Amino acid sequence: MKIDINYIARVEGESSVKLEIEEGKLKELRLNIWEPPRFFEGFLVGRKFDEVPDIVARICGICPVSHMTTAIRAMENAFGLTPSPEVKRIRKILALSQILSSHLAHLYILALPDFFRLNSVVEMLPHFEKDIKRFLRLKEAANSITALFGGRALHPVSMVVGGFTKVPSKADTEKAAWELESLHGDALETLKMASELKCPALENHAEFVALKGKGEYAINGGMISSTKGLNIKEHEYASYFIEDEVPYSNAKRTILKDRGSLMAGALSRINLGFDNLLPDAKKASEDLGFTGGGNPFLNNLAQAVEIVHALQECAILLRGLSLKSVKNYFADFKVREGAGSALTEAPRGMLYHYYEIDGRGVITKANIVTPTAHNFLNLEESLKKLVTENIDKPEEELILMCEMLVRAYDPCFSCSVH
Amino acid sequence: MNKLRLGFFKYSCCMGCSYFFAYVQKHVPEVLASFDFVFIKLLSRKGIPEGPFDIALVEGTITEAWQVDELKMIREHSKKLFAIGSCAVIGGIPAIKATSPELEVEKRVYKNLSSIHSIKPHAVDAYVKVDGYIRGCPPVERDLYEALTSVLTGRKPDFPQYSVCIECKLKGNICVLIADDMPCMGPVTNAGCGALCPSMNRACYSCFGPMKQANAPGLAKKFKAMGISRDDIIRKFTEFGADTIEFRKAVEMVYED
Ligand code: SF4
Ligand code: SF4
Ligand code: SF4
Repeated sequence: MKIDINYIARVEGESSVKLEIEEGKLKELRLNIWEPPRFFEGFLVGRKFDEVPDIVARICGICPVSHMTTAIRAMENAFGLTPSPEVKRIRKILALSQILSSHLAHLYILALPDFFRLNSVVEMLPHFEKDIKRFLRLKEAANSITALFGGRALHPVSMVVGGFTKVPSKADTEKAAWELESLHGDALETLKMASELKCPALENHAEFVALKGKGEYAINGGMISSTKGLNIKEHEYASYFIEDEVPYSNAKRTILKDRGSLMAGALSRINLGFDNLLPDAKKASEDLGFTGGGNPFLNNLAQAVEIVHALQECAILLRGLSLKSVKNYFADFKVREGAGSALTEAPRGMLYHYYEIDGRGVITKANIVTPTAHNFLNLEESLKKLVTENIDKPEEELILMCEMLVRAYDPCFSCSVH
Repeated sequence: MNKLRLGFFKYSCCMGCSYFFAYVQKHVPEVLASFDFVFIKLLSRKGIPEGPFDIALVEGTITEAWQVDELKMIREHSKKLFAIGSCAVIGGIPAIKATSPELEVEKRVYKNLSSIHSIKPHAVDAYVKVDGYIRGCPPVERDLYEALTSVLTGRKPDFPQYSVCIECKLKGNICVLIADDMPCMGPVTNAGCGALCPSMNRACYSCFGPMKQANAPGLAKKFKAMGISRDDIIRKFTEFGADTIEFRKAVEMVYED
């Protein structure tokens, strides 16, 4: 029996799962990412370094801040520029606001309908008015933080190599912090909701990989760490991770050298950084008996924990800003020939950018590895396992389970192909 | 009243326009309540891609042959078809690819090109008739509602036809082109964003694309007089405008000069 799941809705971008079952056994399974390539790494060559953040933002409509920040940090590394603590703080605020938006959209709009056997959030509306209203409150608050600093929530314009072209007033950031604090209860409700979703059991012995910080929940930089003992510096990435083309997919696949598949994303960050969560998020999570785990379906719950954490950390960082004058938020630098790389934790996991730049600031080489490329092999392996363990289920049921698993990884196929 | 049947299609892009569309629905529930979402993959399983549609929204650049076939099918089955976002309206960022020999660009990304079937990137109206353009990257709510309400009320949509400079003046910004010598693309860029970049102390990079009667060669000359290099000027006019006649004129002028 051949099953071709070619209409995978409610994820970002295009993919299909093709599988073949013979005599009650899974013979073959492929995740075919047929999202059309746009060749960013190809056409970035010849562009000027200061255009790059605006261009790479357009890789993804959900995590433009991550692509911009990673590119900016890579180029600052190439130019030997260290941003001020306050610039770092603002970058983290922007990243957290985007993690909030992305996780909220994923949980409420993309993932949730499956658990009630509904096709879309539109069908959910009549029965889940309270939840949808909560979603809108939270999402609105998250978007307005991104817009407050970036000028707009999608493809922000103030982020440049060297810092920011404009910063908001102290009064505006105080108000924003207050708004976030008032939504703490909504975030806890979201966590409760996520904890009540019944997920299929599924083991997964992947190596979980995430950036890890000292005493902080790492987002923009940190040590590349794993649950199997990896602990390397940002610039060592290329010596440990291998990116390969896959004949049936437009997305490349990344593995750990001599180790194999890996998993990145919210669940990885929780597995590696649980102790660095803020006390409230940690306690709420512990009260639910969740401190991490292997089942990829738990990624939904991990995202909900991160929502509680990100909302609070965002407010704390907002309160801590001094916001003196724009001049303090832009560092002068000299363009010089060189190469630079950087990693950040995008909402869906570890994101890597690498650039080679000539003396005039023109890009001569670019490489981008996205969270979904990091997860590709493991997602395929998880799908195989899921199908094998549920092989007797009716076809419709099996299809839905596969889709749910794909969605649980919260893949971004547009990013992965780019 | 019968609900109007709506389809939303994604081609080669960041899917930001889908997200924008999915999310802004909260603001005008009355308008949205008038539509039946027949097909929008980001939001729903089991949509009907064949339509028929009263209104089809198309995001993304056209970069593969199957997209052309599907686009023609959608056109045939839709009363009104709007391009949404700079990718679909003007080719957007993915059209930068065509500023270099395309095979070279592709080879930089893939060693094995046997399974890659890309065609030259183009805007949607290179292939089908378009009833209106919802500009921007991302677009703004005003233009989206204008498109939707125009279909609901059966009139022609009315989008801004002037430059970002007009919005910038109305806002009372200090001109970054004149005061700070920044190469601002505002004079040739279609309005809609509310002059966002100049309001954030930076030059417009034309993410809304050219306005219709843009004097792009004129602005390119001004940039030249400011001492900006030929390559930098060309990059300005090809970041979002590589697939547009208006900005190509500026690039040709710079080359001939
Ligand atoms: S126009 Fe911009 S926001 Fe819309 S899909 Fe294209 S890149 Fe994304
Ligand atoms: S800053 Fe730019 S958009 Fe504003 S008036 Fe000057 S040229 Fe026009
Ligand atoms: S000012 Fe120009 S680049 Fe900035 S948002 Fe408006 S159209 Fe886009």
